Amino acid sequence: MPYLFVAPNMFIFITFIVWPAIRGFQISFFDSIDGRTFTPVGIGNYRTIFGDPTVASVARNTATYVIFYVLISTFLATALALVVNEQKFAKGFFRAIIFLPVMLSPIVVGLIWNDVLDRKVGPLNSLLQALGGGSPGWLVEPKLGMIAVIFVGVWVHIGFYSIILLAGLQGIDRSLLEAATMDGATRAQIIRTIILPLLKPTTLVIIILSTIHGFQSFDFIYSLTGGGPLGATTLIVQYIYDRAFQSPIQYGLGSAAGVILFMIIFAFTALNFLLGKRREAI
Amino acid sequence: MSKLQERATANKWSSMSGKKPPSVGDIIRTTFLIVVSLIILAPVLWFVLSSFKDVTDLSSRPPKILPTHWAFSNYTEAFKMYNYKRYFTNSVIVTSIATVLTLTINSMAAYAFAKYNFRGRDGLFVMTLAMIMIPLQVILIPIYLVVANLGLVNTYWGMIIPAAATPTGVFIIRQYMLTIPDELIEAARIDGAGEFRIFARIVLPLCRPALAVVAIFSILWRWNDFLWPLLIAQKEELYTLPVALALLNGQLVVPYNIVLAMSVMSIIPVLFMFVFMQRQIVQGIAQTGIK
Repeated sequence: MPYLFVAPNMFIFITFIVWPAIRGFQISFFDSIDGRTFTPVGIGNYRTIFGDPTVASVARNTATYVIFYVLISTFLATALALVVNEQKFAKGFFRAIIFLPVMLSPIVVGLIWNDVLDRKVGPLNSLLQALGGGSPGWLVEPKLGMIAVIFVGVWVHIGFYSIILLAGLQGIDRSLLEAATMDGATRAQIIRTIILPLLKPTTLVIIILSTIHGFQSFDFIYSLTGGGPLGATTLIVQYIYDRAFQSPIQYGLGSAAGVILFMIIFAFTALNFLLGKRREAI
Repeated sequence: MSKLQERATANKWSSMSGKKPPSVGDIIRTTFLIVVSLIILAPVLWFVLSSFKDVTDLSSRPPKILPTHWAFSNYTEAFKMYNYKRYFTNSVIVTSIATVLTLTINSMAAYAFAKYNFRGRDGLFVMTLAMIMIPLQVILIPIYLVVANLGLVNTYWGMIIPAAATPTGVFIIRQYMLTIPDELIEAARIDGAGEFRIFARIVLPLCRPALAVVAIFSILWRWNDFLWPLLIAQKEELYTLPVALALLNGQLVVPYNIVLAMSVMSIIPVLFMFVFMQRQIVQGIAQTGIK
């Protein structure tokens, strides 16, 4: 009887996750442009990934994006959580606003910022001009494109991380804080020497989660820049997608990139589990 | 210490009760939050206002904050001229069927993991959780080839089934089911109730809060999901809203003012959910760390 209960879920897992995962690993050692005929190439695809200049630029973009995305998200989310946690006036309102972008479809987020960042008719540039600045081509120049993508990535997810950190803050024993206050500690001291150290496990979770999210980013970038200008915001997932749907179609190469992405995500998820275990033990 | 005294000390730490004037810290915090709120709200507001502008307003330099005349026609035209109703219906179909399917198979699996002892249970449960480590992005190409081989490309089922067995859903419901006393199930068994009847009539109604969380997350995720329907829905009549918005805007076949109106309409259902279910959503995230 219990097998009957798990069967549907397991059937879908095996057909649509386990089996494709195994297939993907196999295909990564082949070359195929139609998904029907496969030519064995050994580790050729992996060699391409570590040698090809296009892939190198995708790797660089992904690394830049993930590093800045993780650092800024973690820092800002912590700051926001600390502030919201202590806020007395309209706390729920501010929390709801910060959380709002998490609800939006990433495609619509891309369209929103496309509208706002438009070089000629966007409100940001007309604001900058009014203040005496130039009108930078946010979505036209490669470097600015990457900055825009990182900014929007943080803008979308900051509420999500703040909520988790807020829950962590609420788990801190208030009597510790009260004792410190009575001993005459200033709020800055309390934050630095009590709250932040106690919040560390949650902060680690945020770093791990945001790293995983960073590596998986695709949809809002697709509608914001489409991976441009000049491929400057093409990250690994878009690269994998392009290998299946844009010429040159290379299923093997895309699968190999998928295997590498899996190893990265696997490492960070495993780390999360391990830290979670340790947290429970304490 | 009495409750009152406790509250008094708590207030001391957590700053102002209504009577005292706001401290410098309160002012700085509130200012900071107002600035952050503006950075978050202003672009959304601008976008919504843009959706009421006509083509001339949209291309005017410098841009106008308010439309010269409110072009409600963007909205009516979106409904009349383009397959907007089609995309909206597709999104509704995929979201609702997928959510029902996810709830059904996830809760069944969760029940087996929580309330039965059987060979391979722990192994299967660990395997279920391990699926979190294989997100779609990683197996994008092979899963597409598998789905194509099964002839599911360009079908609703192709969009619905492959992602229906969510590992986190099983986990959330199983944790909740563990709190249901075994005696209850035993008693029902002694009364002669069948296994499936016990599950459907006794266990499921008790799990309503967990099921609600899984349902909310499934709805939000499916409604906004892009990558998977993008792979499967290659014919225009199967586009869901996000796919339609991304592709129509990219191909420049639909005028921009219409795309804006379509986008704004597409976020309304989600905003409703947010307003009414904020508590469950926020708690769900805080407890599980999943989107």
